[in-house]
Amino acid sequence: MPPEPPVNGGYMIAAYVVTGAILLSYFLSLVRKGRSEK
Amino acid sequence: MTAAAVPPPSLERAHATIRRGRAISALALLGIAGVYVLALGYTPIEARQGVAQKIFYLHVPAAWSALLAFSLVGIVSLLYLWLHDPRLDRFAASSAEVGLVFAAVMLTTGPIWAKPIWGTWWTWDARLTLTLFLFFLFVGYLALRSAVHDRHERARFSAVVGIMGMLLVPFVHLSVYLFRTLHPQPIVLKPSAPSLPWEMLRTLLVSTLMFTLLYVGLVTLRYGIGLAAEAREEHDAA
Repeated sequence: MPPEPPVNGGYMIAAYVVTGAILLSYFLSLVRKGRSEK
Repeated sequence: MTAAAVPPPSLERAHATIRRGRAISALALLGIAGVYVLALGYTPIEARQGVAQKIFYLHVPAAWSALLAFSLVGIVSLLYLWLHDPRLDRFAASSAEVGLVFAAVMLTTGPIWAKPIWGTWWTWDARLTLTLFLFFLFVGYLALRSAVHDRHERARFSAVVGIMGMLLVPFVHLSVYLFRTLHPQPIVLKPSAPSLPWEMLRTLLVSTLMFTLLYVGLVTLRYGIGLAAEAREEHDAA
């Protein structure tokens, strides 16, 4: 029987949350800057 | 073509570019949300690394987008030194800033993956160290831009730094072949066929496509903001 994969889901969740936070916050900061240029 | 032949920045054009950039970025972010679902729900778990391997579907596309962004900064900087077209300088500034955002994703997801797999957050091997240098070089690029007020001097100085940054990109990619390094070797961008099962390769390709679309959207949005700022400056000066 093949060995069970290691349990490390917390790291995966952290990486997905951090990536979403970086990309979304940069996008929103640009949207706000774009609005202030009007 | 000389700078004199380029139309002056107009607010209408800037606002249209901002709207276009916002729409493309929003579409790409929705696509990345879809990638999350695809990676977490419909892509098999790697047997040896466990679910932490799924960080790869964000880390690799972020690295691709960052290296693409920095390479384009170098290419358009070379063209700027030749043509003196302010649109090239504006594009280089936008691409450098967006590239830094993707590099930040790459440099945070990498250590989060490394901790459970290598047992350490960071190691000073060639790939990681060169990537960090590249990141700092483009932080310096943006600092230089904000320190020089004359538009032509700023464009000329930063073009030279942008070209230097581009020269580092092939070393980053090839560092896993040139030096002894812990970092895994390329599994898609290599001379032989990709060494991944189809379900994993599909998720990686969709993610890379969405990250590239996000790069296009964010650069367009950032370019429009730069254009609007210049149009306003010229309007105020007139």
